Amino acid sequence: MLEVKNIKYSYNKDYQALKGVSLKVERGQMVALLGKNGAGKSTLFLHLNGIYEPDEGQVFIDGEELKYDKKSLLKFRQKVGIVFQNPDDQIFAPTVEEDVAFGPLNLGLSMEEVQQRVTDALERVGMSGFEKTAPHHLSGGQKKRVAIAGILAMKPEIMVLDEPTAGLDPQGVVNLSTLLNELNEEGITIIISTHEVDLVPNYADKVFVLVDGILIGEGTPKEIFAQPEILEQANLKVPIVTELFQQLEAEQGFDMQGDYPLTIDEAKDKFLEILNK
Amino acid sequence: MKFDMDYIAHHNELTETNPYFKLFLTIILLIVTLALDNLYFDVLIFVVMSIVILAIARISIWSYLKFLTIPVAFLVITCLFLMFFFGKGEVIFEIGFFGIVVTADSFHYAVYTFFRVMGCFPCLGFLALTTPIAKILHCLATLKVPKIMIEIGLLMYNAIFIFLNEIDTMQKAQDTRLGYHSYWSSFKSLGALTSTIFLRSLDKSETLQFALDSRGYTGELPLYEPKREE
Repeated sequence: MLEVKNIKYSYNKDYQALKGVSLKVERGQMVALLGKNGAGKSTLFLHLNGIYEPDEGQVFIDGEELKYDKKSLLKFRQKVGIVFQNPDDQIFAPTVEEDVAFGPLNLGLSMEEVQQRVTDALERVGMSGFEKTAPHHLSGGQKKRVAIAGILAMKPEIMVLDEPTAGLDPQGVVNLSTLLNELNEEGITIIISTHEVDLVPNYADKVFVLVDGILIGEGTPKEIFAQPEILEQANLKVPIVTELFQQLEAEQGFDMQGDYPLTIDEAKDKFLEILNK
Repeated sequence: MKFDMDYIAHHNELTETNPYFKLFLTIILLIVTLALDNLYFDVLIFVVMSIVILAIARISIWSYLKFLTIPVAFLVITCLFLMFFFGKGEVIFEIGFFGIVVTADSFHYAVYTFFRVMGCFPCLGFLALTTPIAKILHCLATLKVPKIMIEIGLLMYNAIFIFLNEIDTMQKAQDTRLGYHSYWSSFKSLGALTSTIFLRSLDKSETLQFALDSRGYTGELPLYEPKREE
């Protein structure tokens, strides 16, 4: 579906932000990209729809190489939608509906089609009724939803979200992950950059770890969180649930047989298993 | 930002009134006020439009006064200059130093300018306080105002709110660390604030460009026509 081959990118002579990154995401997957601040996550994302052109390497979408002429860019930008970290950077129109309509209008669709898409997208993210509102009168969580609606209205195949949970309150984070899970089930491939490790095992089929412009690990959440050296290099931690079980083993002597739960559900099962022994 | 003009424009009794009507009324009143150049008419317009803003649109008197303060400050300064430094003819008042005098001519100028401008403020205020900018821009677009001007207006409008917020946050951060404790530190803090805002605006404009490009921006902002409400 989406393939990145050995991408290198430098902002200037002295600083190479990406030092040869390759990764592959299959259709319908939900993928997390982990890495500390300044690891190159945002830079990598801006390559996925051709905002940045790599110094070396290629990007393939549906097996087709990304080209940088106007016509191909429009095609690929419809397929790959990026939700920016700060919704204020993305939302620019004076009303919510005009902002959501911006993408579809650029695709050259008819006005009826655009209106339908705006209505659908706002309903999908639970923001119906805010059509005429000025974006700067919305809360942070609401702005995020409008930003997502603006991308959804373009009907992308792949949705890329740069730290979507940053700045949201806990309830907002839960609502957002529910929404993203639903969108994923409807067939949109989703790529999320984050350092909220607690949530990652709940949604991610696959995890990539990026450190200083190099991919140092990839695999299922189980595989990644079982490798302390990778986590340490990336300034990450295991989810808090996992930490509990690791401590139970280290300090209380319960044998976990190398299987540490990552989510609350897994933890529940593990507890019952231990209690019933 | 205690005085949020945009919020007022969205929340008053005249928000939903036909924007074309408001736009044309404003333009006609402005032209008439400027053309007639009659003191009584200026005062009449000021009173009538103020009543419209306060009583019909139901905008609070404090918001209205705040809206007036900044331009009035400019107006007073301008008129003082007109009075003391312009005009020729019969001298009616002497200050007594530097030979600065008020002439009949300049006095007339200053008074007429003052009242004309005072008559125009509530007309503009009527439009600015009761009509959300989105609607004004829509009107202008359908009236075939050049697209480039509307796009610039739209992006500026968007930028103003981001920067007011940004300045507000930075100013509070400086204030927290006593940045405005003395005159000298106020000057220094304000200088730092201004230069940082400049750099940040470059940064922000780049990010906005990326965000627009990501959604297929072609160099022209398309115009959206909302669905008719049944």
